[in-house]
Amino acid sequence: MTAPRSVLIVGESLAGTAAARHLRALGHTGPVVLIGAEDDGAYSRPPLSKAVLKDQAADHTLGLALDGLDTDVIRSAAVTADTRRRTVTTADGRQVGYDALIVATGADARRLAAPGQRGELVLRTLDDARLLRDRLAHAGSAIVIGAGFLGMEVASACAARGIPVTVVDTDRPLERILGDHLSAAITTRAAAYGIRFLQATGFATLTGDPVSGVALPDGTELTADLVVTCAGEVPSTGWLAGTGLADRLGVGIDHACATTVPGVFAAGDVTYLRGDGTRPDRRAPFWSNALAQGRTAAASALGLPAPGPPQDDYFWTEIAGLTVKIVGRLPLSGEPTTAQGSVADGRALLTWSHADGTSTAVAYGLRKPVTALRALAATPWPPSTDGGT
Amino acid sequence: MKISVDHPRCEGHGLCADQAPDVFSLDDDAELTYHFEGTEVPDEHQLAARAAVNACPVAALRVLP
Repeated sequence: MTAPRSVLIVGESLAGTAAARHLRALGHTGPVVLIGAEDDGAYSRPPLSKAVLKDQAADHTLGLALDGLDTDVIRSAAVTADTRRRTVTTADGRQVGYDALIVATGADARRLAAPGQRGELVLRTLDDARLLRDRLAHAGSAIVIGAGFLGMEVASACAARGIPVTVVDTDRPLERILGDHLSAAITTRAAAYGIRFLQATGFATLTGDPVSGVALPDGTELTADLVVTCAGEVPSTGWLAGTGLADRLGVGIDHACATTVPGVFAAGDVTYLRGDGTRPDRRAPFWSNALAQGRTAAASALGLPAPGPPQDDYFWTEIAGLTVKIVGRLPLSGEPTTAQGSVADGRALLTWSHADGTSTAVAYGLRKPVTALRALAATPWPPSTDGGT
Repeated sequence: MKISVDHPRCEGHGLCADQAPDVFSLDDDAELTYHFEGTEVPDEHQLAARAAVNACPVAALRVLP
């Protein structure tokens, strides 16, 4: 296989910039073109639900620099792709050719508003975060739809400002991801922090135009100054229509970040790892995976072996003043083994063993680096005390 | 090339040390040490250091102009 002359990356995202950087690190000297839809360029999203909601000074410190990379950046959204002719067309009418394409367009917030219903708030982009921050400054009450990580982070930001907040979901906070054990502890902690949780029997509907509340299937209606939808994300694949690259879960990739179309690779939140006979398809839109996949996609686009696995399952969140860091497979179920501390005290190091021999390690309210969690996840528990008898 | 570290913003994830172990390290309590505080990052570590700056999920690292 000959190395491609030009590489086109669509998506000025963490995965996209990591891919651009790694192409150069691997010695690629041909053209690298990066197409981005947002005027702000690439930036770090994790602080949007934390630092940015607190302080506007954070807005200008989030950029992911492309310094010294010799890339041609086009700031106009990709609107169509033709994988046979190997071209991508942008909203401003440019047609960009490529030898290898890396799809890194990420995901958009899932929205619940009815067609034409205005004023739904979500949190995915820097503009979303700025708008939400402005609205928080004047809100006397808030409703958050969705008790996943993002929903609980937004609720924490409301509570930290003294704004009474109700979180609505069919499952308890983080239950779908972290299981009963941690969900119960986090729900108790969140309540003490001023976050009310309301368990719904089905999907919530946004009411008002502009949106001013929610209606639940049992007839309950709630209203608030601020209603924020945190109902997950939708892979940004509209521009790939007709290519066969994308389905409901996003763009399917293998362990080399290759798609089913020759010359096309993908990385980050737009992707899912295709299953095989033993594993189901799996979306894992985490920061660390975008980083790992950006590098893997770059190597694969150049016909080189992957630098490592395309999954580096590390996730973290900060809820009601408590940081939770996780390495390993999710969701969790059942009871953990406690390696240190206790959940009741708000400081614990926990592991869950899975049937396939892997483990998930969780630092609950404890400051631990990812390396320590990876080591713990890789340690059989209890640790062998074999003295060599 | 110099890097600034916003220590209060650092949450101790340690993804920088994954990318550039010769430039950043963390102890078991996730306290960060930047090995070239106040000096230039040596040429041979600059590529990795720039990747580390981008890997920081809380944008606590910046390459100084």
